Amino acid sequence: MQPLTMRICHLYPTLLSVAGDRGNLFAIQRRCEWRGFATEVTEVGVGQSADFTQYDLILFHGGQDKEMDVAARDLVDKAASLRDAVEADVAVLAVCAGYQLLGHYYQPFTGPRLEGVGALDLRTEGGNTRFMNHIAVECDFAEGGPQTLVGFENHSGRTYLGPRAAPLGRVVAGSGNNGEDGGEGARYRQVYGTYLHGPVLPKNPWFTDHLIRAGLRHRYAEVAPLAALPDGAEERAHTAAMQLAMRLKGKMTALEATVWR
Amino acid sequence: MTRGGPLGTARLAAALAAGKLAAKTGRVLRVGGGTSLPGMVARRIDPGVLRKVIGGSRARKIVVCGSNGKTTTSRMLAALAQASGKRVTQNRTGSNLLQGVTAVAVNGASLLGTLDTDVLVFEIDEATIRRAVPEIEPDVVIVNNLFRDQLDRYGELYSVAAALENMIRGLPPEATVVLNGDDPMVASFAPDAVCRRLYFGVRTDDVGTQVPEHAADTIRCVKCQHDLVYSKAYISHLGAYVCPNCGYSRPPLDVAVTHAELDPVGASRITLETPAGTLTYSLALQGLHNVYNSAGAVAGALALGLDPAAASAAFAGLRPAFGRLEDIPAGDKHIVLAFVKNPISYNTTLRTIMQRPGQKHFLSAHSNAVTDGEDFAWLWDIDLEELAPQVASLVTSGTKADELAMRFKYAGVPEERMRVVAERPAALDAALAEVPPGGTLYVLSGYTPLHELRRVMVQRGWVPPFWEE
Repeated sequence: MQPLTMRICHLYPTLLSVAGDRGNLFAIQRRCEWRGFATEVTEVGVGQSADFTQYDLILFHGGQDKEMDVAARDLVDKAASLRDAVEADVAVLAVCAGYQLLGHYYQPFTGPRLEGVGALDLRTEGGNTRFMNHIAVECDFAEGGPQTLVGFENHSGRTYLGPRAAPLGRVVAGSGNNGEDGGEGARYRQVYGTYLHGPVLPKNPWFTDHLIRAGLRHRYAEVAPLAALPDGAEERAHTAAMQLAMRLKGKMTALEATVWR
Repeated sequence: MTRGGPLGTARLAAALAAGKLAAKTGRVLRVGGGTSLPGMVARRIDPGVLRKVIGGSRARKIVVCGSNGKTTTSRMLAALAQASGKRVTQNRTGSNLLQGVTAVAVNGASLLGTLDTDVLVFEIDEATIRRAVPEIEPDVVIVNNLFRDQLDRYGELYSVAAALENMIRGLPPEATVVLNGDDPMVASFAPDAVCRRLYFGVRTDDVGTQVPEHAADTIRCVKCQHDLVYSKAYISHLGAYVCPNCGYSRPPLDVAVTHAELDPVGASRITLETPAGTLTYSLALQGLHNVYNSAGAVAGALALGLDPAAASAAFAGLRPAFGRLEDIPAGDKHIVLAFVKNPISYNTTLRTIMQRPGQKHFLSAHSNAVTDGEDFAWLWDIDLEELAPQVASLVTSGTKADELAMRFKYAGVPEERMRVVAERPAALDAALAEVPPGGTLYVLSGYTPLHELRRVMVQRGWVPPFWEE
């Protein structure tokens, strides 16, 4: 029997790879492999045209300002197809710069505005300080009940959601979208945008599985419930990150919380 | 030399006396090697202590900075200067923040502030460049390379680059900056600077690949952002590059490795072309990164006016620096201690270890103490997938022990070969217990746990305290 196969698009794999975010791809691949699913990964870089509706899952990660600028200019040619994919319920994980670029625009603290893809109803304004925190977020996706996400945020952009996007979750510790409204990330159809690095998926296996399920559902009419995996190592890493976030809660940056500085 | 009159002199003397006392106390109490506490104490009494002592010294001064290779390059430079008959003072324990740099002045100077030496070698952390370099007023500055390193500590790569560039612009015409020409960003630094410049790099087909590895940082043109084309990539983004869009390319190298014969267990054979002629030497320190370090050190020595011919004698006797694949006999076993701090240093170390045959035993330790950074996402940029098939046993330790275990699990190391032992001494025992007699334990560790583990080894008499080296 042909194994279930998920087609993954890794967008700008070399350009946007600043904080070990390729770990998200590894997490998806391993957890598919452990369940007997196959994955096909296509890397799409600057100048390459792509029909994004043919993928089941798109990974769109973070980068520094210069890399983001290059990506924004290249996205002009990719935006329409990306919007089509989103409306066709392709699953998307967008992190940091990728998350910001899926919105309407990113206005840096200094310099010209970068136009976004417009697939998510949100905008981002650059600030003159950075949020650098261990972060914990409470999510309730209905399916599976309330869950927590843990990670590390490192961004100066403040993101504000419009009415057509819902926050991914509520900040328990850390700053999240803008440090003001308590929201972190955004959800729309099967798009999941977040500021969480870490990378986010390995330490939050429930979220990885949620994306795998969404990706498979894009391709297959019926998907059986995912087999449970022995997640001891993942749960311990999750718990350790959660404790760290709670211990440093309320600090502007994780660095300020350390003893000497 | 004692700017500020009698009061200034008294203050400097008080600062030096207090700093020296702190160093002595630290050694007696065995709380540390006197590597940064003396500087901290002395600066509190006289913030100008570094400028006064170093500025008053007639020694030639050289600063080594950049992401990777600072400690080893500094040791090579010191060995080279010593082999040419010079007296050398340096911060040789990798204590490279402002306090550690100041400690060199405190420990080395008399109470009157006289520092009697010929060559001063400072390795300086990226975060300290802006403050330390103007106080030192160096004759030569070496910039090794620029890799992403603990982004949460230093901000983005580009702000570190900007700080380095400003520092170079501040150097006077008689000073020399020695730049790694193989690093597209470092090579582009401050073309408008008034100081002299020397480029070093590697120019041989003996080593390297066609395409940069995953963790490469600068693979786009620093001038126009177009993707660079490499005819040769040596380590990460270091190599022979050209921008097909605007024509920016590697500058002509003044000091170039033209032949490199690497041996996974023995010494490397190097041929180096310099403005002073061709040198050949063997290098007991393994790996291509050390070939770069040696080329940078020779270029720095040339800029200082030293005789580069001393390189051969100087490099032959080099032992690895603290935690740089340092071989430590532990009873009937061996420990190889590897300090790993960012994807590039980690990958480079892994490649060197993986060239040794057979399955291996490992201890991996990381902690989120201030010197180690808070964000360990970079663990996912390391090619641990390549190491996984060689792992016979693995113990993870430090405050990040759980996260490490998970990372190795996703790299493909079977869980039954792994154990989490957060406490450092117990982790060392657990890891050593897996090693058969005559075997080797490879310790891959961040800064803080490495010191903790080494302290255990000192207590057991396997290795001397590092400040006695």
